Amino acid sequence: MTAETQIDNYLTALRLHLSPLTIAEREEIVREINAHIRDSADLPGASVESVLARLGPAEALAAQYRDGLLIRQASRSLSPLVLLRASLRLATKSVFGIFVLFCSVFGYSFGAGFVVVALSKAICPAHTGVWVQDGQVVSAGAFIYGVSPMAHEVLGLWIIPLGLIAGSFTLLMTTFLIRTSLRVSQRLQSRL
Amino acid sequence: MAIKRAQPAQDDQPDRWEAQLRKGALEMAALASLWQGRLYGLEIIRFLESHSQLALAEGTIYPILNRLKAEGLLTSEWVEADAGHPRKYYSLTASGRQRLRQMAEAWTNFSGGLSRLLEPVLDTKENRQ
Repeated sequence: MTAETQIDNYLTALRLHLSPLTIAEREEIVREINAHIRDSADLPGASVESVLARLGPAEALAAQYRDGLLIRQASRSLSPLVLLRASLRLATKSVFGIFVLFCSVFGYSFGAGFVVVALSKAICPAHTGVWVQDGQVVSAGAFIYGVSPMAHEVLGLWIIPLGLIAGSFTLLMTTFLIRTSLRVSQRLQSRL
Repeated sequence: MAIKRAQPAQDDQPDRWEAQLRKGALEMAALASLWQGRLYGLEIIRFLESHSQLALAEGTIYPILNRLKAEGLLTSEWVEADAGHPRKYYSLTASGRQRLRQMAEAWTNFSGGLSRLLEPVLDTKENRQ
């Protein structure tokens, strides 16, 4: 395989793995890596093989750019889907990422749960609430089947604003936590 | 058996710790290489190799430069060269210079404090040798 073919193959693979980026960003990266390969290969004692080996596989190089973009976008996003996707990617890279993913899933589930309970009270008031029996909470939330007739409901319609406030607060805190974690991870993601 | 299996992991710890330390400093080092003026990617790699002990995996620096540029700390321009292809030169922006100054101050304070803390450790080591 000639040196030109090797360079072309590497850049084609790089371009392919950079496909989530815009064409302009992708071509700028490919152009820069092309210049790096040619400059490095021109140095005394260097060869295209050794230069490509030092750059690492095109897929791994592209992954670093893609991760950077994903985390950059997510750290400015409010969308749970985007933030969860970035957390998932982070979880594949570090223990810190696994912790962030765990907190994200936990936070979003709880936040959404509070909101669902609040909305459920408006739709099915008899099946939603906090039931107390003998001074102890026996059931809390929204239920398809009724709870024990011995228990009585204590919150009434207050569960709607309380659920919405608790849900919004949990969702906001989860969003803030993920975005902060992504910014921190961005500082740590560069590898030697 | 358990001791034998645990031993290599312990030996590996200082290397991993050092790699983490270098990793944390890389962003600051990349910015610092541009303090005197613009450089292109390969020049930054060579600069870091010659002025510090940061031997880079070459594919690492480009995504970092890309990210620093996206954060507005660097700016870039393509310049035609005698080599027959243009090169992408990076320069620090005003906010890049400001961030680097903050990093340099934090780094100097931090490393100064740690050096004082480690003085007795190094003295003991020298005395033993």
